[in-house]
Amino acid sequence: MVKPLRSSVSTDSLDLWGPDDPAFLEALGNAVLPGDENARIPAPQPDAETMSRKRSRDESDELQAEMTSHATLANGLGDTEGDPEIYGASRFGHFGEYMCRKRAKLQIQNANLEASRDVGGKSKILSGLSIYINGWTNPSVQDLRQLIVTHGGVFQPYLDKKSLVTHIITCSLTAAKIKDWKHMKIVRPEWLVDSAAAGTLLPWRNYIFKPGGRVEQSQGADTPQNYLSMDPRLASGYSSRDIEQPLLVGHVPATPVSNTPAVATIEAAFSTSYSPRPLHVTDPGTHEDAARVPGYAAHTSNLLAERVMANPEWRAAHTSVAPDFIEGFYKNSRLHYLSIWKAELKKLVQQAHEEVENGLQESVSAMRDLQATTKDGDNNMERARLVTESPSKRKGKEKALGLKRVIMHCDFDCFFVSVGLLSHPELRGKPVVVCHSQDGTGGTSSTSEIASSSYEARSFGIKNGMSLQQGRRLCPDLRTIPYEFEKYKQLSLRFYTILMRHADDIQAVSVDEALIEVTTSVSRCAIRPSSLAFPNDPAKSLAEQIRSEVRDATGCEVSIGIAENIQLARIATRKAKPAGSFHLKSEDVQEVLAPLDIDDLHGFGHSTRQKAHEKLGATNLGQLAKKSKAALCDALGKSNGETLYNAIRGIDERKLESDKPRRSVSCDINYGIRFENNDQAKAFIYQMAEEVSRRLTAIDMCGRSLTLKIMKRDPSAPAEASKFMGHGICETFNKQTPLSSANSRTTSNPKDIGDHAWKLLNSWGFDPKELRGVGIQIQKLEMTSASNTTDPGQVKLAFQVKSSTTAPDNPEQDDLGIPRIVTDPPSQDDPPQNESHLVDLPSFSQVDRDVFDALPEDVRRELELEYQRRSRSPMPEVRPSPDVRPKIIVKGVNVKRITQQLAPKNRTILSPRKNMLFAKRDGPSHMRVSEAELRKLGIDPDVFAVLPVHLQREQLIMTRHAKSGRLLEERKIIKASGRSPSVPYRKKPPPQAKHPQPPLLKQQGKQPGEKLYFTETGDVLTVIESWVKGFTDYPPNQRDVDYFSKFLVQSVESADTGMEKTIAVMKWWLVLLRRSWDVYERSTEDGGGSSAESIGRTWWKAFREVKAKVDIAARRRFGGSLSLK
Amino acid sequence: MSEVSLTWNQTVKGITEFIEVAIHTILYVRQIYPADLFVRRKKYDTPVFQSRHPALNEYISGTVKAVADELVLGNVDKVVVVIKDNNQVALERFIFSIQNMIEVESYNKDTSVQDAMSSAKLGQYFRSFLIKLNMIESQLGLLELPSGDEASFAVVLELKDNTAPSASKDKDPPPWVPADLQHTTSGASKEAQLHLLRAVDTGIINISLAVQESEEKLQLGKASDDSANDIKGKGKDKTE
Repeated sequence: MVKPLRSSVSTDSLDLWGPDDPAFLEALGNAVLPGDENARIPAPQPDAETMSRKRSRDESDELQAEMTSHATLANGLGDTEGDPEIYGASRFGHFGEYMCRKRAKLQIQNANLEASRDVGGKSKILSGLSIYINGWTNPSVQDLRQLIVTHGGVFQPYLDKKSLVTHIITCSLTAAKIKDWKHMKIVRPEWLVDSAAAGTLLPWRNYIFKPGGRVEQSQGADTPQNYLSMDPRLASGYSSRDIEQPLLVGHVPATPVSNTPAVATIEAAFSTSYSPRPLHVTDPGTHEDAARVPGYAAHTSNLLAERVMANPEWRAAHTSVAPDFIEGFYKNSRLHYLSIWKAELKKLVQQAHEEVENGLQESVSAMRDLQATTKDGDNNMERARLVTESPSKRKGKEKALGLKRVIMHCDFDCFFVSVGLLSHPELRGKPVVVCHSQDGTGGTSSTSEIASSSYEARSFGIKNGMSLQQGRRLCPDLRTIPYEFEKYKQLSLRFYTILMRHADDIQAVSVDEALIEVTTSVSRCAIRPSSLAFPNDPAKSLAEQIRSEVRDATGCEVSIGIAENIQLARIATRKAKPAGSFHLKSEDVQEVLAPLDIDDLHGFGHSTRQKAHEKLGATNLGQLAKKSKAALCDALGKSNGETLYNAIRGIDERKLESDKPRRSVSCDINYGIRFENNDQAKAFIYQMAEEVSRRLTAIDMCGRSLTLKIMKRDPSAPAEASKFMGHGICETFNKQTPLSSANSRTTSNPKDIGDHAWKLLNSWGFDPKELRGVGIQIQKLEMTSASNTTDPGQVKLAFQVKSSTTAPDNPEQDDLGIPRIVTDPPSQDDPPQNESHLVDLPSFSQVDRDVFDALPEDVRRELELEYQRRSRSPMPEVRPSPDVRPKIIVKGVNVKRITQQLAPKNRTILSPRKNMLFAKRDGPSHMRVSEAELRKLGIDPDVFAVLPVHLQREQLIMTRHAKSGRLLEERKIIKASGRSPSVPYRKKPPPQAKHPQPPLLKQQGKQPGEKLYFTETGDVLTVIESWVKGFTDYPPNQRDVDYFSKFLVQSVESADTGMEKTIAVMKWWLVLLRRSWDVYERSTEDGGGSSAESIGRTWWKAFREVKAKVDIAARRRFGGSLSLK
Repeated sequence: MSEVSLTWNQTVKGITEFIEVAIHTILYVRQIYPADLFVRRKKYDTPVFQSRHPALNEYISGTVKAVADELVLGNVDKVVVVIKDNNQVALERFIFSIQNMIEVESYNKDTSVQDAMSSAKLGQYFRSFLIKLNMIESQLGLLELPSGDEASFAVVLELKDNTAPSASKDKDPPPWVPADLQHTTSGASKEAQLHLLRAVDTGIINISLAVQESEEKLQLGKASDDSANDIKGKGKDKTE
């Protein structure tokens, strides 16, 4: 065994390391590798040289090295104690060496451990395994380590090299580790414990660690202290109870509960005895459920189904693609019948109540009618009117004060089977189940679900919800009987009739199950105890009476649990079954409840149980009873926790829900959904919409909200689920949308429903091939009649009918005597298509208090005020106007107003986009900045590149400013020049252009007081021209000249454009002067001469004067003098 | 077209661009370099002449860039293209006079300035600048130099009082050297003749272009005029 191994490995290593390492080869030869259990040959002591050579090598061969050291140490300890290679100091920087030594030391420790326990027959069941333990485990790491070592395994304290480890033991893993280790063998510690107990290595696959629930639960949710602090007595009781739970044949025990001798000392062990309840369904929808279903192969495809699905014809005929699929589905769906009946029953109960309340008396004759109708075979329960017989029950809902409530929970014993046996009496006493698949069909591999099983069948371990296949495996001569839906209905009706006769109040739970309040009947019975079967217990007597009545009427047994509230009554029924009654008295409550588990309580299921287990460490009611209310609320949520807290104490304030209004109508199909394309899916959705619509119409309801539920094949699930045509493991998606018809009223129109549902489905964009289940649910139901009489979303005020006083002239308007409330339609509403919009508040009495209370404070106050106002205002008088219906104009209640009020009030008025301040006009489309510069400024160029330009600029500027104050400094200098006012940063309107103010040439107007102003070059030229022309015969006034020169100098000083103007004016002046006095231009002397000459000279003098002044001004700016050439 | 007014950056860019075009044109119209060195192009909807000499172009663009760097800082008072003779005596000075009207915060450099001129309108103004520049010979006459003299040019940057060129890159000192006094405005003699070509008021940075004939040039011209006009002068005298 060793030889071939050696050679094969050595050839490998030759390639890698070359042939010059005999010590390594020798070590390798001595190595015991995983798998060769019997290869434990006495290995020669590795000398120091071997060890050192090994360590200095790459880590890839450390596996072998490790194994070697272990193997050798396990056999001969002693010598290694002083081995400097292991116990010596490791050199600096040789972490690998350090780790290696550490591992070796630990293995020596392990070997010691083994040796110390080594007496006689050494267990080798774990030999060859190299196990790493992660995190907190139960049993503890120390115990597990001992366990591993004593049974020949290798305990690995570190997981720095995954290749060293064959298995990982853990109780909980973080998400990251789950991901990281997905290719490793991760096992629960029970594997070791059980293996040790069994004395053989059990297959690890049965103990694969499955991350439970959500990831965050594994983080901190598991508080082991809870377990450790618990009373061992309770613990033992707990686990023993679990052991009693029947294990199913053919189902490998996933969670063994017995403690192994090796860990017997560990008190906390009982927590491992927590087992998820086996779930009995044929087609679990989630991985968690699937894991709970015994024998459910979540990852194997149903081959038969795959084969059949491949046949397009079969597909077309049998899957959801088939035109009559929905009808067929419902014809055969037991659950569908149950739900339909339940709806009918509820309605019936409700009607009966109404009649009682109204004091309508109909008595036994009605019962006879009922009997007659049922005998006629007319199964429509609607026709049967259930009426109570005694006026004393008028109290109905009002609790019979002073009397102790008595609730009975009446439940048929395996209803379907019992009914079936009526027509198959020959099967009585045999294991019988009711399911679709009959003896002849389906064969042994039927996945048909067992709906009901007889007690005989149950004794074989058959449970409701199992597949027939599983049932057959448990009991080969299992007999099946078909569903008899019509008969169920008949018998159920009789059952309810009887119950009605005795009950104050009744809650129809399902066809075969009802809760009744019998307080008054019991108290009546108690008056004459002598006549009772159980003189001390009138309630039980009544129960027996009911039982016998039902037995007579239906031929089936009913079990009745009696208690003072619903919860306890349900628990009592468990005790009563089969075929009996049980009165759970308040003094016995604790005793009965204590051993029960959380999910034995009605309303608490698997998930609550799991939560309780995780967070409270207990699922047993006796243990939970010790928890505080706060603790329960913490763990299970407020309402759940409170309910549980009360339930444990036998308190349940719930009332029977006989008149619970229908909340929703739905239609779910998750069997046989196999679409190939969107068209099929669409057609199917519309078919379902029709079905939903039909149901809505049946109960005369319309809906305002639609929820679409979609089950989509889980990516990990096979294309064909284990259950034939079932949905398999699925991802579930829900979406809700307001539902309204085209004219925005509530609707039950199949097209509207279909449109909305299809739109929702489309919005997900699922592959139609992946769809496995579709459900359409309509909520926010309203009576069709109500919604039709008024306009959409509007409620009519419930005024008293006073029409008798005002007989309308028009006989056609007979029914219009009720004053109409006409509202001014909210202005932003669409133009009235109907003649008027009726909007108003319902009368105060009709307001749903819950909704009202939930309204925001201000809205509520507003409504209250409105109601107050109305109550004060007198009843509107019906004006006898013959042609117009009386109207009350009420200010329209605008729904938008309410939404506006809900909107945040401090909304900014200016949206940044509209604000001119931040508007980017036109700039470069990107900033031209080199990457190097950005880096220098500490800006990531990649990030910078994706920024919008204005942000880039801003960022750049800010950073540059921060880096060097230079820009700022220079800006200060500009400020110092006083050219523009300094403006606080960031609070600036867009920059404003500054134009030099041109100086004005003022002139006296024609009217006194009128002033003319000239600034434009052309105007000034005209003025000059008229001036010069006006003074051809007289010399110019010096004042005028001064004035003019002042204007021109100012112009020059104002700006270059002003200088331009001045030059133009001067040039024109020059031209004008040259026209008139050209000859005198050069003569400077002020000779007397002719007047014309002196005038001319004066003009030229004025010109030169002005020119000099202008030149001086210009020189300041440009130097030199102006050229007027 | 004229709706959107200029931003600060646009104005700076427009002005520097114009200065560059104008320098080329000046060199052409004053015949500093042979005419065949230039190529006719269209700019501001008017024909302009651009040098084809790479080294010259590089010099001009480098200079203009340096001007632009200072212009951005708002310190520039004048940019002067000095036409000088062999003896480095300024003959003509083409003065771009800059007037910063407003100061714009850095974050507003690309915000359009209210009430300012539109970019299209500025382009039209620049066209009129260039047309006037092309016609400058009618005012100044040909630049006549004594035979053997070669005219050259320089660009002088005049900043506001008490400022020095400070826009520098990579720690290099600003690329400017102190100018010859005679080349500068303050060095212009009283006799120098200024011809204002055009001015524009953008509302952001106002610019005007003027040509100043230096006293030296005028003397030179007079001298040659005198020699040429000796006969004429006599005639003049006669008439007077």
